[in-house]
Amino acid sequence: MSVAINGTNGITYNDGSLQPSAIGKNLIINGNMAIAQRATSVTGITSAGYYTCDRWNIANTTAGTWTQTQDTDVPTGQGFATSIKMDCTTADASLAVGDQLGLETRLEGLNCQQLEYGTANAKSTTLSFWVKSNKTGVYTFEYFQPDSSRSISQTYTISVANTWEKKTITIDGDTSGAINNDNGLGLLLKWWLAAGTNWTSGTLATSWATLSNPNRVSSSNVNLADSTSNYINITGVQLEANTTATPFENLQYGQQLALCQRYYWRWTDEHAVSNATFYSTVAVYGVLSFNTTMRAAPTFTVSAAAHFNIFNSAAATAASAFSASRITENSARLNFTASSARTQGQAAWVEIITGAGKYIESDAEL
Amino acid sequence: MYKKLNDLIENQEADVILRLSDNASIPKDEANTDYQAYLEWVAEGNTPEEADET
Repeated sequence: MSVAINGTNGITYNDGSLQPSAIGKNLIINGNMAIAQRATSVTGITSAGYYTCDRWNIANTTAGTWTQTQDTDVPTGQGFATSIKMDCTTADASLAVGDQLGLETRLEGLNCQQLEYGTANAKSTTLSFWVKSNKTGVYTFEYFQPDSSRSISQTYTISVANTWEKKTITIDGDTSGAINNDNGLGLLLKWWLAAGTNWTSGTLATSWATLSNPNRVSSSNVNLADSTSNYINITGVQLEANTTATPFENLQYGQQLALCQRYYWRWTDEHAVSNATFYSTVAVYGVLSFNTTMRAAPTFTVSAAAHFNIFNSAAATAASAFSASRITENSARLNFTASSARTQGQAAWVEIITGAGKYIESDAEL
Repeated sequence: MYKKLNDLIENQEADVILRLSDNASIPKDEANTDYQAYLEWVAEGNTPEEADET
């Protein structure tokens, strides 16, 4: 098979197909919305947070109530199986000045160094994504770089209702604002879906500039929260150090899951969690090593301590309390309290009991 | 609201903070965004509950 190397777009094979130019070119993790460890659908969303698809955060300040879904509605023939959907269930047709709604993904500084921001060699980037909504009109996309408190925004237009459209946005590199080479927030990418005048009253910052809230969103931006008929689906998100959009880089599911688990993981019911020891008659301690090194020492949460069984001596006893300690990027000590006493020094193991809604999770999101 | 915890093994204050709303164990790592939120809460003049006596 003959190939033609195209330094801009990638490799063109003799059958006309264009292949990605580099492995790992996509700076976005879970751009095809394949991973949803927390849930596949969450209703009643009124505040910021991570709900379904990993690495995708909602910013919501009193701009309606939403259902978020890992949806199977995808553009035909593009190789995607899932998208993220925001569906308005309570409208806010009259936004207060500070109201906002946005879909965000956050890039770690360590993964942004190839962009060489803050130098004369700062690279242009191209963002490409597929989007579908009933609500046509102007939308704003924003990069925010917190280390230097700088931002740039561009608009895109959804032209046809209820139809998948591919959008491409290319921006210059920022020669002034360096991104720290650390595990903090390097770049925040935000799809603005609704914005009060606190965010729209200035002149849209279409070149890199010091962050100024009135300049972040176009005054023409739609208010996706203005009707319970409104929804938006997004998938196939790719950000690359390039001046044109190349084909979406599809990772193996396991590769992408591991990338997501640097920031968050959840184990659910019937999962064996850890070997453990009765440190006292009721204090049961175990050590848990993570599947992948996490971004930072994570926060540990369980659905309820009583959702865990401690097994030893051919019997199980429920846990009555839980905490974690000695938490690092790689491991943690899990501290359970047994609801019935056993012999100090006995070995044990801990499992999540059967049933939906029972979990242990570890969160090091940006 | 937050609460300190004791570490029974080390016999000292644990290296995590308990967030009472969901009983989350938050490590004292300044790169952890939950710990950053805790530090902001303290900077606003709030004080965590003391750990239970052991």
